[in-house]
Amino acid sequence: MNGKPLILQAVQCPSPRVKASMILMGLGQILSREYIKGLLYLASLAAYVGYLAMIGITDIAGFITLGTVEADPWLGTAGDDSIIMMLRGLLAIVLTVGIVLLYRSNLRDILETEQLGLYGGNALPFPEAVRHFLDRKFYIVALALPVIGVMVFNVIPILFMILISFTNYGGNIIPPKLVDWTGLDSFRRVLSLTGIRETFFRILGWNMIWALASTAVNYFGGLGLALLLNKKCFKFKKFWRMFPIIAYAVPGFITLLAFKFLFSYGGPINYYITQAGSSAIGFLDIDAGLKAKLIGLGVNAWISIPTSMLLATGILSNMNESLYEAASIDGASPWQQFKKITLPFVVFSTTPVLITNFIGNFNNFGIFYFLRGGLYMDGYFLASDTDLLINWLYNLSIDNNYYSIGAAVSLIIFIITSVLSLSVYVRSNAYRKEDTYR
Amino acid sequence: MLKTKSLRLIAALLSLLLLVSLAACGGGGDSAGTTQPPAGTQNPAPAATPAGDTGENSGGSTGGSPVAPITLHILENDTAKAEGYLEALLTAFNAAYADKGIVAVDANMDEFTDLAMNGPYGYGPDVLYQANDQLMQFAEDKHILPLNAEELECWSTTPEEAWEAFRLNLDGNSYLCGVPVNIQEPMLFYREDQMPADWQTKWDKDGNGTPDFFENWCDLYALSKEIHEADSSKFGFMASLNNLYLASPFMLSYGNYIFGEKDGVLDSTDVGFSKGNAVNGLMALRQFAGLMNEGCIDDTITLNRYEKIADGSYFCSVSTPDTYSLFLGNLTNRYVQDGMSQDEASAKAVENLKMIEMPAKMPANGDLSQDSSAVTDWVDTICMGGINGYAISSYTKYREACIEFVNFATSFDMVRTRAEMLGIAPTRSDVAALSGDTADTLFQSLDAGRIYLMPSIKAVDQIWVPSQTLMGDVAKDPFRVQQGDPARYPDKEALQAALEDMDQQIYDAIHTLAG
Repeated sequence: MNGKPLILQAVQCPSPRVKASMILMGLGQILSREYIKGLLYLASLAAYVGYLAMIGITDIAGFITLGTVEADPWLGTAGDDSIIMMLRGLLAIVLTVGIVLLYRSNLRDILETEQLGLYGGNALPFPEAVRHFLDRKFYIVALALPVIGVMVFNVIPILFMILISFTNYGGNIIPPKLVDWTGLDSFRRVLSLTGIRETFFRILGWNMIWALASTAVNYFGGLGLALLLNKKCFKFKKFWRMFPIIAYAVPGFITLLAFKFLFSYGGPINYYITQAGSSAIGFLDIDAGLKAKLIGLGVNAWISIPTSMLLATGILSNMNESLYEAASIDGASPWQQFKKITLPFVVFSTTPVLITNFIGNFNNFGIFYFLRGGLYMDGYFLASDTDLLINWLYNLSIDNNYYSIGAAVSLIIFIITSVLSLSVYVRSNAYRKEDTYR
Repeated sequence: MLKTKSLRLIAALLSLLLLVSLAACGGGGDSAGTTQPPAGTQNPAPAATPAGDTGENSGGSTGGSPVAPITLHILENDTAKAEGYLEALLTAFNAAYADKGIVAVDANMDEFTDLAMNGPYGYGPDVLYQANDQLMQFAEDKHILPLNAEELECWSTTPEEAWEAFRLNLDGNSYLCGVPVNIQEPMLFYREDQMPADWQTKWDKDGNGTPDFFENWCDLYALSKEIHEADSSKFGFMASLNNLYLASPFMLSYGNYIFGEKDGVLDSTDVGFSKGNAVNGLMALRQFAGLMNEGCIDDTITLNRYEKIADGSYFCSVSTPDTYSLFLGNLTNRYVQDGMSQDEASAKAVENLKMIEMPAKMPANGDLSQDSSAVTDWVDTICMGGINGYAISSYTKYREACIEFVNFATSFDMVRTRAEMLGIAPTRSDVAALSGDTADTLFQSLDAGRIYLMPSIKAVDQIWVPSQTLMGDVAKDPFRVQQGDPARYPDKEALQAALEDMDQQIYDAIHTLAG
């Protein structure tokens, strides 16, 4: 194979078998006496064309129009369901992409057959060819199922969400009303409508601070706790390690509801404050602002530090003790030992986890939903000053049915988090020195 | 050789199939832009007229040939299930309609199931029992069938106000989409033994046998002040003042409204919380918050009212009639803890726990601290309420049978059974007259317009969080001052501005992104 595009190679190849496979997928293979392979290609094409004829073309047309007849449940008029049409159209497109890839593989195969002179019965018998393929390209076989799983459960829902953001789905436009393509209108409205734009940037700013602060607190909190419990002088280690694990084992939303009660006006903290003669404190009420944010950080730390601690404990158990002995002999202080030996080692091993934690915290829905939900503040559109983008997204799309706007916000979140995490990851030692650090 | 021939034959057949497919593809292409319903669209029973007029056979046979029994899936609320009413209803209906081949069963779904999401795809109940605001959201998008309500037995005994809660105005036409069953509004709960010993001499100025503090808000305020000043751990009237439904007298009694009307139809572009003298109600709310503790800012009182009424910490609190059993249970437990037997405790709790409507009069200027005998200008207390009722899903296959069921479930006997088993306040005047004081009072309040029914349009969803935020914020003001901070709403101008902001916030939530 040379560097030319596959289709160009096929066009330039004088063999009639290649031309045949260009015209009809699998025909060249049949002419080359690779009957089973050719039949499989041909059957795939026939199935695809059959699918197109039966429903595929209609589905693709439906994807473009998103329906033309509005249903009337009172009159029993069956109309078009735009969202189902979009899904079916999406499936048709995915299948079309699949058949295009198969067509490419058909061309590659027939060109290879020609170049190696395997036509006319010289090729390996099909079962042997399959065995050879399984041996030579085992990675394809091994990855096929996961790739299909990822396509079905990840890629298609993400594509669907992306597509929703380019429609007017939501608000008053809910099936049986027909949904329309509106291009970038949802993004324009998020980024330009007065009130919504300000809300977006305010929440984004707080969201970044929250994600950075909570990741740092959880990470260093866990590391600190692990170091503390690793100290030789520390007594009853198993006993103390049990407490964070219990905190971790309690379902997160139960913990959050417990903390909400703890900090409410009727909760035990305010009970003791009032019993001591002071006025109750609104830890999470409308004036709470910074207090509520700090409580959120603390509660998140309570829930997340045990994970970091367990992770750090595992990594610290692999530390080479002789490094510390050598450093001590050289006169390094404990802080210097931590900074120069422990931290680089732990950070190197946990950079991917750190990035995952950052994304998790960026999209941490539960903390402020459970602690301080149900507030819309002045200066915010359907949000409060502690809401993160994910909470705002929920308010928009679930509480208020603005699905396309919600999809646009989630796409923006996706872009932000993926750009940040990828750029941090490729710059990290964990990526650049993957095979060198020991 | 034979094998090769077979493979060639298969190849030829496949090629033929391909050609046929390609030929058919031309036809498929033609239909791509047509209006054929794709999968996922629904095909409800053919009927161009409201359900009552359809000619569909609801019986067990057609033209002499046997037909499989019709099964109706009925969605009731959890209380009706828990108290055994649904079972009683289904048993009675199935016995009455056994010869017609109609069977009603529990839909076994969440009581707040979303018909709009499930119905079009063939899931969801045939008949639903929900509150008017919930049902009418579905009706707006035609997920609920319009009815010829005049043909139902309950038509003549149900007041027009109750029917109006289920009226849908669409494309210039008016439809009734639900059948009223009972009324809900927030009620006052108290222990009779906590009444002031001298109430007949001190708190019954007009000598009508009803304490003044249950007749007007100024006296309820005065009593609450007296109770709290005498013992700072005790309170008079207590409520979560951030709750629009429970604290609705402060938000809806002063000539304002939730949504205005245009040509007799609710108009969500006209949000009217700030209209009229609404600010006086908010002044009253702010004033009463000063006699409560900080629990009134959030849902603390909503959570602890049962226990606090039982232990006497609160003189009275507000809740919905369906929570009566929770108050009763807490009071009974309290008596048991005090050493009574279970039976004695239950009997005493029933005798001692009272549920009444909220005081009927509020001072027109919103100043609760006035001496009631000096107040000459009162306004009627208006509470937010709702009408629960039955509706029929547009996606049912058995419209006529559903109408039969609804007619049966709203008949005199069944509504009376429901009232007896669940303690509801029926909308049927004949049952209300037999169901005791509370039902009759609620019925009369509805008739007199003292209950502000939750608007039956989708936009009502957007009023709750903005009102909760503002009401909680205003309720916090007295506590800001107590802590030495400046009041956020020191005067009527500030409160009026806040109400107008809230109206705007609700308007924006409904319309800015509506598309």
